[in-house]
Amino acid sequence: MIELEPMASSMDEVVVVGYGTQKKVTLTGAVADVKGSELAKTPTLNLTNSLAGRLPGITALNGSGEPGYDGSTIRIRGTNSLGNSSALIVIDGVPDREGGMERLNPNDIESMSVLKDASAAIYGSRAANGVILITTKRGKSGKPMLSYTFNQGWAQPTVIPKLTDAVEYGTLRNELAIYESSVPPAQWKTAYDALINTGTYTNPDNNAVINSPTGFFPEDMQKYRDGSDPWGHPNTDWFDATFKNWSPQSRHYVQLSGGSENVKYLGSIGYQNQDAYYKNSATGYKQYDLRLNLDAKINKYMSLQLGIAGREEFRAFPTDGAGEIFRMLMRGKPNEPAIWPNGMPGRDIEYGQNPVVITTNQTGYDNDKRDYIQTTGRLEILIPGVEGLKLTGTAAVDKYFKNQKRFETPWYLYSWDKTSYEADGVTPKLTKELRSPFTDPRLNQWTENTLNINLSGLLNYDKTFGAHSVNFLAGVQRETEDYEGFNAFRRYFLSNAIDVMSVGGDLEKNNGGGSYRRARLSYFGRVGYNYEQKYLFEFLWRYDGSYIFPPNKRFGFFPGVTAGWRISEEKFFKDNVNFVNNLKIRGSWGQMGAEPYFGGVLAEYQFISSYPFTNYVLSDAVVQALYEARVANQDFTWEIGTNTNIGLDAAFLNNRLSVELDYFYNQRDRALIAETGLVPQSSGISNKLPPTNKGKMSNRGGEFKISWSDNVGEVTYSLGINGGYAKNKVLYSSEPAGVPEWQRSTGKPYGTSGYTIVAYQYDGVFKNQADIDANTIDYSALTNNLRPGDMKLKDYNQDGKITGDDMVALDKTRDPLFTGGFNGSLSYRNFDFSFMFQGATGGMLFFGTESGDIGNYLQYSFDNRWTVDNESSVDPRITSRNNQYYTDFAKAGRNTYFLRSSNYLRLKNVELGYAVNMPKSLREVISNVRVFANGQNIFTWDKMKLWDPEATSTNGQYYPQSRIFNVGATVTF
Amino acid sequence: MKTNIFLQYLIFTLLLIGSYSCQKDFLNIEPTNEVPAETTWQDGPLAEAFVTGIYNQYLGVGGFTEEMLASFSDEAVFTHTGRNINTINEGSASPSNVGFVPASYEWQNMFNGIRAANLTLEKLASPLIDTALANRLKGEAHFLRAFFYQQLLRYYGGVPLITKTYGLDEDYSSTRNTYEECVNFVVADCDTAAWLINDKEMAKGRTNLLAALALKSRILLYAASDLHYLPVATTKFPELGSHPKPELFGYAGGNRAERWQRAKQAAQVALDLGPIYKAGYKLNLATPVSAENGKLNYMSIAMGGYSKAEGMDETAGDEIIWGRYYNLNVNTGAGVSIGQYNGPNGYHNWAGNTPIGIFVDDFEMNDGTAFSWSNATHKAAPYKNRDPRFYATVLYDGADWKPRDLVSGNVDPANQIQTGKYDLIQGGSKITFNGLDTRSSSIEDWNGSRTGYYMRKFIDPDPKIAEANTKQLIPWPFIRYTEVVFNFIEASLELGEEAPARTWLNRIRFRSGMPEIPATETGAALKNRYRNEKELK
Repeated sequence: MIELEPMASSMDEVVVVGYGTQKKVTLTGAVADVKGSELAKTPTLNLTNSLAGRLPGITALNGSGEPGYDGSTIRIRGTNSLGNSSALIVIDGVPDREGGMERLNPNDIESMSVLKDASAAIYGSRAANGVILITTKRGKSGKPMLSYTFNQGWAQPTVIPKLTDAVEYGTLRNELAIYESSVPPAQWKTAYDALINTGTYTNPDNNAVINSPTGFFPEDMQKYRDGSDPWGHPNTDWFDATFKNWSPQSRHYVQLSGGSENVKYLGSIGYQNQDAYYKNSATGYKQYDLRLNLDAKINKYMSLQLGIAGREEFRAFPTDGAGEIFRMLMRGKPNEPAIWPNGMPGRDIEYGQNPVVITTNQTGYDNDKRDYIQTTGRLEILIPGVEGLKLTGTAAVDKYFKNQKRFETPWYLYSWDKTSYEADGVTPKLTKELRSPFTDPRLNQWTENTLNINLSGLLNYDKTFGAHSVNFLAGVQRETEDYEGFNAFRRYFLSNAIDVMSVGGDLEKNNGGGSYRRARLSYFGRVGYNYEQKYLFEFLWRYDGSYIFPPNKRFGFFPGVTAGWRISEEKFFKDNVNFVNNLKIRGSWGQMGAEPYFGGVLAEYQFISSYPFTNYVLSDAVVQALYEARVANQDFTWEIGTNTNIGLDAAFLNNRLSVELDYFYNQRDRALIAETGLVPQSSGISNKLPPTNKGKMSNRGGEFKISWSDNVGEVTYSLGINGGYAKNKVLYSSEPAGVPEWQRSTGKPYGTSGYTIVAYQYDGVFKNQADIDANTIDYSALTNNLRPGDMKLKDYNQDGKITGDDMVALDKTRDPLFTGGFNGSLSYRNFDFSFMFQGATGGMLFFGTESGDIGNYLQYSFDNRWTVDNESSVDPRITSRNNQYYTDFAKAGRNTYFLRSSNYLRLKNVELGYAVNMPKSLREVISNVRVFANGQNIFTWDKMKLWDPEATSTNGQYYPQSRIFNVGATVTF
Repeated sequence: MKTNIFLQYLIFTLLLIGSYSCQKDFLNIEPTNEVPAETTWQDGPLAEAFVTGIYNQYLGVGGFTEEMLASFSDEAVFTHTGRNINTINEGSASPSNVGFVPASYEWQNMFNGIRAANLTLEKLASPLIDTALANRLKGEAHFLRAFFYQQLLRYYGGVPLITKTYGLDEDYSSTRNTYEECVNFVVADCDTAAWLINDKEMAKGRTNLLAALALKSRILLYAASDLHYLPVATTKFPELGSHPKPELFGYAGGNRAERWQRAKQAAQVALDLGPIYKAGYKLNLATPVSAENGKLNYMSIAMGGYSKAEGMDETAGDEIIWGRYYNLNVNTGAGVSIGQYNGPNGYHNWAGNTPIGIFVDDFEMNDGTAFSWSNATHKAAPYKNRDPRFYATVLYDGADWKPRDLVSGNVDPANQIQTGKYDLIQGGSKITFNGLDTRSSSIEDWNGSRTGYYMRKFIDPDPKIAEANTKQLIPWPFIRYTEVVFNFIEASLELGEEAPARTWLNRIRFRSGMPEIPATETGAALKNRYRNEKELK
């Protein structure tokens, strides 16, 4: 046998797989795994944000940092379907638990494995997008061990979009005034100089006068520049006015574990609290969680596992959502006051929305409480008389409650007419205005609860006969989910101080609610065989039935096979190659299913002909009405993902160097799509089409993971690099009739955002009139009046005209093609240190802000735009909102100029720890103290340079991702 | 022996699995918030609810959407860019960009409505519900189908006439029927609807017999007009002549007088039923009311009986033969936000559809003479002594309007519209003050009117309704009684029957405080007068 290195991968290391565990060395599927302790190194309060860079082939894109909604979108091997591409998440053996993985406490997690290939086939109908298995920690026999971990972190946005200041904005507004006037381009330069110097320009052709816009005359500009008039001419940075520098977050965690031979226990309690970036923030996230895992050996044959997890998630928000808040932050004009010099809130940007006020509880509150009680009981019976035969019964009962209360109260802002003063004649007199879009308090309340019951029975037979090992598993699983929801609304409360539903006004009170049931039934199994742990073979299957499908198509069979050959176990190899410790090649093939999603919503009841409710006003009363929402399809069934994988695992140099390589090809057939392209609107059913099994796409790519670990003297260190590449291609989607070939999705990649991007091809900018005069392409479908600074577009179909037919389906989507991580850890004496770089390449993101007379411009636009003094051939003239063809989405606003690479590399995570030497006298009480400091998203190199490269927002109107610095300590008793 | 026990347990497990399988039924789940189609058509109230649903689903909130048809024409412009309206105004619509299409004309939406009507007719062909109810519902379905086709016909010309309900995987191809075929189809549906709907007390919001007759009158009037008479229409739109299928857009020939006659008769029938159905408002006057009352009458009609403002007459709601009504429990955006969509930016509204000058100029002086900028008196005070309806339709510089301080603080004690620039004395020196309702306003300038006017007609003048934070309930009139009157007038004029036309034209003017049309005015002049009247409506 090989001599094991202490730090290297051990022969006994096991990996959790579907309905069991396997030794890593005999594993034949493509499975990535990570320890809970690794995940706990990240100071984020959302588990999904700890995954990026740690698991090859897993993409985690964090689209927002808003407390409560700061999770990452997880994709295993990219986007695999035209419908839903979400992975199945299994927690302690139970699939699809309410609340998912986001809010699990990483300290409670023993391990996480990701089944990327046919090894997921045992989860059948929901496995085609891969499966993430999470196993929580359990007690170990020994003396009771108590530990307490405390974390205190501070967060700030990774990027705050850079916008123009009052002088720059004023300059742009003066330019706009010219562009929007009838002044011909030949006079623009003169007109611009006149406006900037005198604030007025007279067109000599017709004596038409244009003036600088109000507030942007030369004398105004001077005041913005010198700051001499903070009341009348402020220079506001709206983000600065609204944000504080650091937003605290903290986490406390207590864990107790121990046990005897027969009873083991692990209990934990956690608390976390997260503040938002806003000053006086109404937004915040709080969580209380507890977990109790018990293991009891009842007798020689029976053992019982019990797990109870409870959690309360409390999301607090102001009454306007982050989208609204950030819309206003992006729009806020730098020459308007966010806060008056006397501290009163300034005017709104629109709808009463002044970010300084609507981020606080001055507008009321929106409190969202979600409670989870999740229990798992598992009884294992070793069948007497038959060695290796085991019967397992599992029951999981999960209860979920949600109670959301949203109380909106009228709010007030202060305006100044710039002419009135207080009695002293110098202090501006502010007017208090009611600026909420309503006048009386109003209360909305929602409650929801679900009960999920998951029962399963497993029969397991595991036996080795000499060189032959067999493993047999058969099981059945029954899942139900029952949902009930109720909501109520009242307004006309007597006062803002009363937020009790029952005492609201009687007029316009309202209520609603609903319920549903979901059910699934599955049979599954596995047959494993290996010869001397050298030739490995496994067959997995699942026979799944779901209420989603019509009765005759309800069940689907999903098989998978995996096989491996450990070459390093062969005698000829052992005898001849000694620097290789392990060499395994493996392959897998499987067919898995996926349920139909449309627009992110599970498409239920599509085979049932029934009418949902709507309403209508008859004789002044609201009456219930019905409508036809779909044409039922009796003939649709599961999507089939046929996933093939080949891989290689190797370890060299006494296991110091290990390598894992994988190549995959996934084909999704029978993807559920609506055949919109074939059904004309005159049919009356074109938007009521049910799912049909017509879609088709492929996805191929691979992953690698290389790790090195060693020690030098007292230094123990390891380094690892991993990456995954996946590129998909639509093979069939329902293309609208008459769409030119180059605009079809077929043959193009499909993104998580759900579409192939179709855009005009940017081709530079008309520098000047000479450039326009030289133009031979007809732009009349977009504009009848080309002017300097207008954008050039490619005449893709070369018909001499720019029309909608010149749009082209692009080869890239928002999703990165490659994601990877580079990590390292080092320990020396009492110190430990780890770092991780993470990056992604191959994604693209549109950008376009709401700028113009309606709102502020990006600094980028100011710095690069075409002007009379900077006749750029690259960046176009500024526009007001979407008033030019190249910014108007109804025309050519969707063009590649506004498309940026979202490639990035970031120092995702760093941790430094120190184990304190305890004085002898204390060791009796405290066995161990470790203090540490860590950080998340510390530094980023990116190409987008507008906002965070992980963003999915195209206009910057979103709550930015967080950079977090954190210190903490763990005390073990 | 061991194998034996193994087998026993295997059998036990299989039995266990088997017992699960017996519960396969539990996978049969029906939605709890839906009604099975089959049940719907066996149950009177449910079948009725389905028909009620057609009104809601495919007619939306009626015409009170943010983008209004006036902005597609020479009456108004839409203030905000990027709505794809200029594609239509500039005539640059193409297959790859058809421009903005209002929901109530939208191809898919209309054909969805037609399907719902066809489904109703199919399911109630041999009704399993009370026959009287079934007949009424069929009548409503016929009417609604006629209305949808009429909308399509107005926007696109001839469209495929589809009377079946398609299933999945069928041949969906169809060809467009000619304009004439479509007109005949709509007329037939209106006739059937009128025949089937006997109920005199239809709920407000549903159609009724009079609405069916009025719709018939509308479609016949359009059919008779120059616009759909190809020999004339092609001279105005040469493109029409070169269209491969001009018959999609009108009649190539036929007897025009007969078509006018039919239109007149249809209007006459509806007109005569008016009093029985209590339709119409103050159309029996023999002399003009005062200017002040004229304005109030006109406002009352626009308010449809749903404004609590002073002087509004609830009975003016009788003008609406068929309308879309609202309720704040369910209507929160379009429909009840016309004030917010169109009101002045100085009141924190959006100034969406703003009247343009040439439309405003079409309002006569209150003595019945035309307004003209070349008349020095008119030019000096353009908003003085105009048709009382002008003051009820348009907000202009200096017009009295609601108290501003409900939302804007004490910035305008006069509560008047400010669309101009004003010289003010401030601190002893003269300054130029940009009106609060301009695009240079200190309040939300990006929403200011580009024309200097704002819409007033359908905005509830109740001062308690501050549009930025309060909604209104003014109903949308799909068909008004006055339209039938106009149809009658127009058909009569085209037939040379000027006397009855003049009588009705004057009645419309009298209730608005406008003087009688001079008896000397005949022929083309009278027609132009009629056209002007109708435009202002």
